[in-house]
This record gives sequence, C-alpha cells and structure tokens, in this order.
Amino acid sequence: MAVRAVGTAVRRPWRGLVPAALWERPRRLQHQGQPDHSDQPIQMENPYKEPPKRCVLCGINVDYKNVQLLSQFVSPYTGCIYGRHITGLCNKKQKEVTKAIKRAHVFGFMPVMFKNPSFLTDPKICNVKYPE
Amino acid sequence: MPRYELALILKAMQRPETAAVLKRTVEALMERGAVVRNLENLGERSLPYKISKHKERHRRGGMLKTTVWFPGSMMNVFFDRLRGPTFDCIDHDGSFRT
Repeated sequence: MAVRAVGTAVRRPWRGLVPAALWERPRRLQHQGQPDHSDQPIQMENPYKEPPKRCVLCGINVDYKNVQLLSQFVSPYTGCIYGRHITGLCNKKQKEVTKAIKRAHVFGFMPVMFKNPSFLTDPKICNVKYPE
Repeated sequence: MPRYELALILKAMQRPETAAVLKRTVEALMERGAVVRNLENLGERSLPYKISKHKERHRRGGMLKTTVWFPGSMMNVFFDRLRGPTFDCIDHDGSFRT
C-alpha cells in the first residue's frame, strides 16, 4: 500500500502530451503544410545481414558408398567417428555421416578399426588437437 | 512397391562367372516380383576386413549394387535364398530403402 501511494504522488507530465509530428489537425487544415516525413527511416532489409552459416557438407549428398568422404570424419589410428565439436558439422549432417559410416562398416565397404591407408593423405576437415 | 538398394559382395571370381552370378541374382529377384531398375558393378576390391563365410576366409570380393523395386514382404524369402546353397554371395546385408 505504501508503494501505491508513492506511485500516485509522482507526476507524469508526459501523459496526455502527443509529439508535435503526430498532432491531429482540424479537417480544414489537414492537407496544408503536412510535416515532412522525408527524414524518417526507409523500411528495408538489413544490408549488413550475414549469409546463413553453412557447414562443410551443406548441399552435399552423404552416401554409405562414398567411403573416401566418410573416412575424412574418422580417426586414422582407431577408426573412431569424430564428434560434432571436432568435425564442425551441423546437427543434421553429423547424424547422416554417423549413420552412413555405421552402414558402411556393416556392409563391408569401410574398415572399422582403422582408416583406409589410401585415404590418409586426404585434406583434413576436422580440427583435431592432439595434446603435446 | 518401395525402392530398395541392394549391395552384394561376391566371392572374387573371373569375369564370366561374375556375369553368371549377376544373371542368377536378377532372375531370383524377378521371380519374387521385383522390378530391377539398374545394376552396377563396383569392381573387385580388397575387403576392409576378412569375411568368413562357407568355411572360407575372403580378403577380396567383387561388389555389386542393384536398385530394385521390391515388395517388402518378400525380403526374408529373398535373403534366405541368398544365404542358402549358393556359394558366391559373401555378404548380403546391404539392403535398405532409398
């Protein structure tokens, strides 16, 4: 109740005041000397908008037969599938890659415990940091 | 009928024998009411791991890939036939819907 009292005691001089640009004019003067709106901001799309972030595999079809592509996301020593924080792929593509790798393992396309030696010199996509 | 992709691994064989196996596979598929869309030979390569089947250890195999329209109910029947007395098919687990 004390708070209430304080609230009503404070004066609000801006209540009931309207900015000059929005004052209503009498009908007779409506079309005379309209305030200039040319300095108002123009509605437009943000010109500094960044393009949507894409991961490395965006737009590329991931297949269980494409063993070379899948081997890029696998450790060369143990054959483990790298996690999302290492590959840098988006949710969807990481899941697709994991499923394709597991499929390739079962179907006899891709080795399980190591990386195919012929793919060892492929460009590195994953940022693996080894402890020194 | 749903469309399936079938990946077969065959024993490492000479060209005419592979052709014969291909033919037999396609016939078996068509017998069970499949429509074979296309058939690809992915070549003979060394397998990623040794596969033991029919008391033999295989290190090399020929790979075949088929795209088929196949009635899903016939799936088990077809795989039984593959697992059966034919000694050419090493690994036939690769079949899934496209």
